[in-house]
Amino acid sequence: MASVSASCLRFHPLLLHSNQPAQGSFKLVSVSWPKSWFPSLKATRFRVSCAAKPETVQKVCDIVRKQLVLSPETLLTPETKFSELGADSLDTVEIVMGLEEEFNISVEEDSSQNITTVKEAADLIEKLVQKKAEAGA
Amino acid sequence: MFPSLLRAYSPMKMRCCFQRSICSASSSLVPVQLPSPMETHFWYVLPDQVKSVSLLNQYMGLLSPIEKENVLSMPGHQLQKRALLARALVRTTIARYQINGHVDPRSLKFKKNIHGKPEVVWQSEDGWCQPHLHFNISHSSSMIACGVTSNSRIGIDVEEKQRKIKNNVLAFARRYFSLHEMEYLSSISDSEVQHQEFIKLWTLKEAYVKALGKGFSAAPFKTFTVQVKTDSKRSFVLAEDLVFEASEIMVESLNDPKSLTSSWQFALLELAGSHYAAICMEKDKSIKVGMKVPVRLTAWKTIPFVEDECVSGTDAVMPIGGLIKL
Repeated sequence: MASVSASCLRFHPLLLHSNQPAQGSFKLVSVSWPKSWFPSLKATRFRVSCAAKPETVQKVCDIVRKQLVLSPETLLTPETKFSELGADSLDTVEIVMGLEEEFNISVEEDSSQNITTVKEAADLIEKLVQKKAEAGA
Repeated sequence: MFPSLLRAYSPMKMRCCFQRSICSASSSLVPVQLPSPMETHFWYVLPDQVKSVSLLNQYMGLLSPIEKENVLSMPGHQLQKRALLARALVRTTIARYQINGHVDPRSLKFKKNIHGKPEVVWQSEDGWCQPHLHFNISHSSSMIACGVTSNSRIGIDVEEKQRKIKNNVLAFARRYFSLHEMEYLSSISDSEVQHQEFIKLWTLKEAYVKALGKGFSAAPFKTFTVQVKTDSKRSFVLAEDLVFEASEIMVESLNDPKSLTSSWQFALLELAGSHYAAICMEKDKSIKVGMKVPVRLTAWKTIPFVEDECVSGTDAVMPIGGLIKL
């Protein structure tokens, strides 16, 4: 079952339909998932479309959540500013470092100053990853 | 020949005690004279000590509509309280200096310079020269601080001593600090001491960049070295003041060795046993290059409208770096 909230998308495993009669204290339920219902990051859900891949955004969110020790209920959108989550400059630098390790990239000091939201981080990461691929390949 | 340590403390303590006042929440702020040249006023509030809802509401009433919006947009009560106290501290602190008749914290207007550093907008009157009050704030999760100077750019940074670093300290230093600083940290074998020295270096570097006021890209951390020369720690009495010489702190720009890094002076403190605080201020222009002049420091722990406690000269403020006069 997919839950979409203003936070980053979280996907829970679909519960499988079982042929066996339900035994025990719980019933298995099958869920059909209409294609039209599938949320796209380019949908109106987000006012500004995020050009980066969903997996990139998800990884960035995870790193931010871990660094800032956010409670699961805290909303984190691509546009949320880190400072609005209580991050100070040391947090931001640690986040950038975490991103560099995760994606195996190197962020220039000037650019790291411009990473203030999840979206900015994800966009920059994709740019750097692509640049690296083009240079290395 | 020199007065005893006890006597040296007395004039200082008396001056401080005079400032101590426990007032009711509705009373006005205790006014303070502007700092003199080479003097820093350091005000700090501990959020855990501010519990009264009516007091927090009173602080909220001081804020501009935009500030209120920013506070309320923070997720969660703790972050909102922190943001609120930060604005309340800045407004009430500056209002104490009663510049141009500004006694009401609400009446202060703020702007950001072209690099994003916050400044006060003084309504200039005919015949009045622009006041040269400079301030800078910093907050950690358990302390909010505001440094004030006259005629001198200032930057401050406070960090919890025990703040957890998610990354490996040396990897972090290798990535973000200068080579010299990284080598210094590498030379420390005790991981706890290494952690503490890391935090101290971070606060000093932050304070310097914030004092410059040109944004972080103007002075990326890797491009300058902060050196803490730990010679002998000593304190001595000069006239009636207590002067601490904990170590000399210098900054050197790697890109531009000739740049005026000698015009900056640092002070490093341990506050309330729990935090490191770094203060970086511009040396007064009248001071000749190479002359060693201490930073005069007066520090208050405050709950605005409730209590101001002068803590410089007590255990709450321990100088650990720089040339400091309390």
